[in-house]
Amino acid sequence: MSGLPKFLLRRLAYLIPQLFGILLLSFCLIKTIPGNPAVLMLGPMAQPDSIAALTKRLGLDQPLPVQFLIYLKDLAHGDLGTSWQTTRPVLSDLIDRFPATIELVTFGLLVAILIGVPLGILSAMRQKSVTARIAELYGLVTGALPDFWIGLLLIFVFYTILGWAPAPLGRIDIAVIAPPTVTGFLTIDSLLDGNLDAFFSAISHLVLPVLTLGLINAGPIMKMTHSTMERMLQSDFSRFEVMSGLPRRLVMRHALHNALPPILTIISVLYGFLLGGAVLVEIVFSWGGAGQYAVQGVLNADIYPVLGFVLFAAVFSLFVYLLVDIAYFLLDPRIGR
Amino acid sequence: MNGPLVNVTDLRVEFPSLTGPDVAVISGLDLAIEPGQVVGLVGEAGAGKTVLARSIMQMVPEPGRVTKGRAELQGEDLLTMSERRLQRVRGARISMITANPRGELNPLLPVGEQIATMARVHLGQGRKESRETARAMLRKVQISDPDRRYAAYPHELSGGMAQRIVIAIALVCGPQVVIADDATSGLDVTVQAQILMLLRDLAREQNSSMLLITRDVGITAHVCDRIAVMHQGEIVEAGDRQAVFLRPAHPYTIMLLAAFSHNKRLRALWSHADADKAAPARGEQACSYVGRCPLAQARCRAEKPMLRMIAPGHEARCHFPVVR
Repeated sequence: MSGLPKFLLRRLAYLIPQLFGILLLSFCLIKTIPGNPAVLMLGPMAQPDSIAALTKRLGLDQPLPVQFLIYLKDLAHGDLGTSWQTTRPVLSDLIDRFPATIELVTFGLLVAILIGVPLGILSAMRQKSVTARIAELYGLVTGALPDFWIGLLLIFVFYTILGWAPAPLGRIDIAVIAPPTVTGFLTIDSLLDGNLDAFFSAISHLVLPVLTLGLINAGPIMKMTHSTMERMLQSDFSRFEVMSGLPRRLVMRHALHNALPPILTIISVLYGFLLGGAVLVEIVFSWGGAGQYAVQGVLNADIYPVLGFVLFAAVFSLFVYLLVDIAYFLLDPRIGR
Repeated sequence: MNGPLVNVTDLRVEFPSLTGPDVAVISGLDLAIEPGQVVGLVGEAGAGKTVLARSIMQMVPEPGRVTKGRAELQGEDLLTMSERRLQRVRGARISMITANPRGELNPLLPVGEQIATMARVHLGQGRKESRETARAMLRKVQISDPDRRYAAYPHELSGGMAQRIVIAIALVCGPQVVIADDATSGLDVTVQAQILMLLRDLAREQNSSMLLITRDVGITAHVCDRIAVMHQGEIVEAGDRQAVFLRPAHPYTIMLLAAFSHNKRLRALWSHADADKAAPARGEQACSYVGRCPLAQARCRAEKPMLRMIAPGHEARCHFPVVR
């Protein structure tokens, strides 16, 4: 594994320019959204001269490049700006909300993997079998149905009719005392605190939104698994293994090993995408996560929460991609050596 | 042992066609391989050589299927064998080598492991023992520095080296028959000869029979005991190497040999024949070669010739074999 440190260093060197590029792009994009925050902040009765004064105080009268440089300078000091809606620093807002989203998305993705990968393998193993047909239909359905609709359906069945699930109002029961924040993940924090009530309450609140995300996102994972597994099983090396009389289980295992990189890729892409992509599910379940926060920012010309969210999401995605690159490196001897 | 080691009789393999009835890619084919014998199967591209090899392995490429005949290994029909039993025959008693060695190897497994896996699966060897077997096999296929190459991955090897690994995998369990389907065509000419000699020597050492499938007649001249010439899914001529090379009887064989001749005018014969490739439909009622045959007569269009003996151990599928 002598090449791994070198490989990692090379990957890390890309991180800073990548982040800079993402920030520049999203800054410009967000600035093209019409609307002056000063007008929104002061309300409809504001005088023009007080609007002008606030605009000046916020630095909004400066040219765009200057505004960007000021933002970068503040960023270097750990200041992500202030949200005028919550009147709090964006950093502390995001530290409150980001773990909620990550917890939701992580569990959702785990469920998606647990459904998608085995289903994809099974349907690639037995073409035209009942399993393969069900898988195909499943892929079609998840592609066609919106996630919030599934969420509403689950709420209707498991909360309204059956009463098994708690009300879709946040991450934990109001009556349960939340554990002190360590990681921000309620499931982990409650366990660290030894608070089982909080743990089970957090889990029960997670079930429906996680199921919603899992059921929908299993679709693309299943399709990718199916197609790469199929390709690997039809490849020359699999055929040669069959021709050499290797047991079917071994042939399957080798094919899966070869199919893993593309499967990992789609999972990592989904992971990054879901941070923002889960926002509708967050809204349906009143999750109070980072996606909801960012959308509120976009709707109210509150640019710092949006930029902060983009920055957090970008760092998170790049971190996930880095992990995937390491996994690639370990899986495939052809990479980076 | 009585009877041939491999005995293919009346084999017929069909592929569905979009426009008409199923097409027989192989029809009524007989082929026998005696123990320890090296049989060369020659014919132009599209003759059905690979389909034949894959049929013997019970791995006919989709969507083709065997519709008739038997392919026996020591009297046991491979075509009706259960998947479980086939698994124990493939690689252990019959193995196959093909033209694309680097594609045949699992890219994510050290090549030595791939040889050792065979020893574990088919010879029931343990981890340590199988590694030893694999190392010994690497030496046998003349790979330099076998201990280091054991841990190499396929992408780190040259084509010739990869083909040696494939040969090692195919031969490590000491199979009774090795089918080499165009095994050297992807390699350099100089490497081709080396690989071919290596394959022949190893097969001889293990007393394995070999079916050597190729488009290159020259290859068969060096290593084969017996030659079978294939055309449009049929064997058109078969005989001892000497007989086929010195006294070719079927017009197609003569053309094929002419194509590999050093004589320019002889080679021109082939290109003429090729230009006139208006082949007859793969119908049952005419000789399959009649459209290209310079010696065709009325009977060739009306009646399909059978493979019949023209001299001891020498057969041709022709109404008017060239006999000297």
